[in-house]
Amino acid sequence: MPRLTPHAFELDHVTKTYRSGWLGRRVLRALDDVSLRVSTGRTFGLVGPNRAGKTTLVKVLLSITHPTSGRVVRLGRPWADRSTLARIGYVHERQAFPGYLTPVQLLELYGRLSGVGRLDVRRRSQELLERVELADRAASPIATFSKGMVQRLALAQALVNEPELLVLDEPTEGLDLSARRLVYEILAERRSKGRSVLLVTHQLSDIERLCDDVAVLRAGRVVFTGSPSMLVDRETSRAAKCQVATAPVAQLVATAGSAGDAASGWPDLELTAPPHAAADGQSAFESAMQHLYEEAPA
Amino acid sequence: MTSNLALVTIHQLVRDTFRQSRAQGVFWLLLGISAVCILLCASVNIEGAQQLATPGENPDFLPRNDPRAGDRETLERDGVVVVGGELTLGFGAVRVPLARDAGNAVHALQLALAAGVADTLGVLLALVWTAGFLPGFLDRQSISVLLAKPAPRWALLLGKYAGVLAFVLLQGAIFVGGTWLALGARTGIWDFAYLKSAPLLLLHFGIFFSVSLLLAVCTRSTVASVFGSIAFWLLCWGMNFGRHALVADVAAGSGAQFGQPLLGIVEFGYWFLPKPADLGMLVRDALGAQNFYGQPAVFEAVQAHGLFHPVMSVAASLAFMVLIFWAAVRQFAATDY
Repeated sequence: MPRLTPHAFELDHVTKTYRSGWLGRRVLRALDDVSLRVSTGRTFGLVGPNRAGKTTLVKVLLSITHPTSGRVVRLGRPWADRSTLARIGYVHERQAFPGYLTPVQLLELYGRLSGVGRLDVRRRSQELLERVELADRAASPIATFSKGMVQRLALAQALVNEPELLVLDEPTEGLDLSARRLVYEILAERRSKGRSVLLVTHQLSDIERLCDDVAVLRAGRVVFTGSPSMLVDRETSRAAKCQVATAPVAQLVATAGSAGDAASGWPDLELTAPPHAAADGQSAFESAMQHLYEEAPA
Repeated sequence: MTSNLALVTIHQLVRDTFRQSRAQGVFWLLLGISAVCILLCASVNIEGAQQLATPGENPDFLPRNDPRAGDRETLERDGVVVVGGELTLGFGAVRVPLARDAGNAVHALQLALAAGVADTLGVLLALVWTAGFLPGFLDRQSISVLLAKPAPRWALLLGKYAGVLAFVLLQGAIFVGGTWLALGARTGIWDFAYLKSAPLLLLHFGIFFSVSLLLAVCTRSTVASVFGSIAFWLLCWGMNFGRHALVADVAAGSGAQFGQPLLGIVEFGYWFLPKPADLGMLVRDALGAQNFYGQPAVFEAVQAHGLFHPVMSVAASLAFMVLIFWAAVRQFAATDY
């Protein structure tokens, strides 16, 4: 039985630096004082431009990489307690499995390493291979699989231990429409079961559609956390303020006319859409996100 | 839970290594070499051999080309036997006159197989062919998901190491057991000492594979693992042989030109590093080679002067293996993937 904790994971002032160059003199700060708290049962999106630190955050969370400083808590237990990893499933952004294994052997290997019993692994493997539509290739070597099939297998692998927290790093990258639909269905199932999901993706439409909460990373720092609708509201408001601030005073007065708030001296402005919104086919969320990406780092 | 999970991890990775060895062809390649050697042994026959001595008795015989070998009457009166008979290989295709008796000929073959084919060529080939197992396993894209499992990192490394050792043990057992059975069946000579070469072979391989493991963890490069471990084996062989040559010279009174500091450095290097030449000596000793053949002069000298300590030598090599494995585990535990 899952031991439910209020938070799926927490990051408290986490920093990760990499050293490179001669004698490690060059320091790259991949994560810079990141604090996040993700509630159990929520689907949490993590977005940001390339090299923002998204994958590093995932790797720190899953003990693949060591944090330089800060505190990480997974499923209510400290980072050093690896037993919590038995309750987490993970899909890597560029998954490579040993080509000599068959899906059945792979799921047995990865399931057993997650602490799942032999009989449970066998039962789960059959179910999952059916679920990801690979049952007919259960005995074929993975080396013969297409990229999409490997991604689907990666998903099955992540679910073999029936995880409380599912971490997906670019799960729909390079997938065709039907495979994407499968990912969406699985995410919907997780949500209905009250399980937590961390979704890392560049697909802003996925975030908007699937996530309860979102964090935006830029240059290793969290620049926004909240719901997708909060992000749209915030960016709309900011853009309007920016428009007001940069407009000539005479123009503002003229725009406001006599309807302004005479007492405060500020004109009444109807804030409908930011100037960067409504580009070709973009939703308000995508537009707001793009604006956040393009802002100069703090 | 951790110890149980660690055991499960090791078991699963041992199985995985066998699958990997089959998929990459290494399993079949080594099996093929064993099959050729077993077939060669199955093709052996000994014809017309003389019994030169009963067990425990010193052999008293004349080589077949001795000028007195023709005087049958005198020889029979004095109880002296003349060597005779032939060893045939390839089901009679190759005929080799026996230098002594049948047991001696079988020992010669076993010594060539154990010390030459298995302990030198086999160990080096196994090092080369298995060196790619770990860098492939440690590839960033495939190891990341395994590292996100609850299994401790040391168990992942130990599982893969144990898998390769189990694979080499199986191959060694097939080679030694198969050739022993084939020779025994064909000649009726069942020398159990030959079977000792299988664990010695594994020991030799295990010590040097730990270096390959450390190189794989540090570099994740197959090339570095292959060339690094072979170069290290050559360095250790040189240090091992050089030390024996040096101390044998000093013990014989002809090494006065070597200063104390040099002797100290060489002794330290010898005791610190693994000792492949000593392991070769142990294989020859296990097969009782000294009863049949001369040893290289240097090895004879160190043994004669009591400067070779087999137990200490193996213990020091094992200690080195443990140290290197520990360093590999430390490095693996600290590495970000």
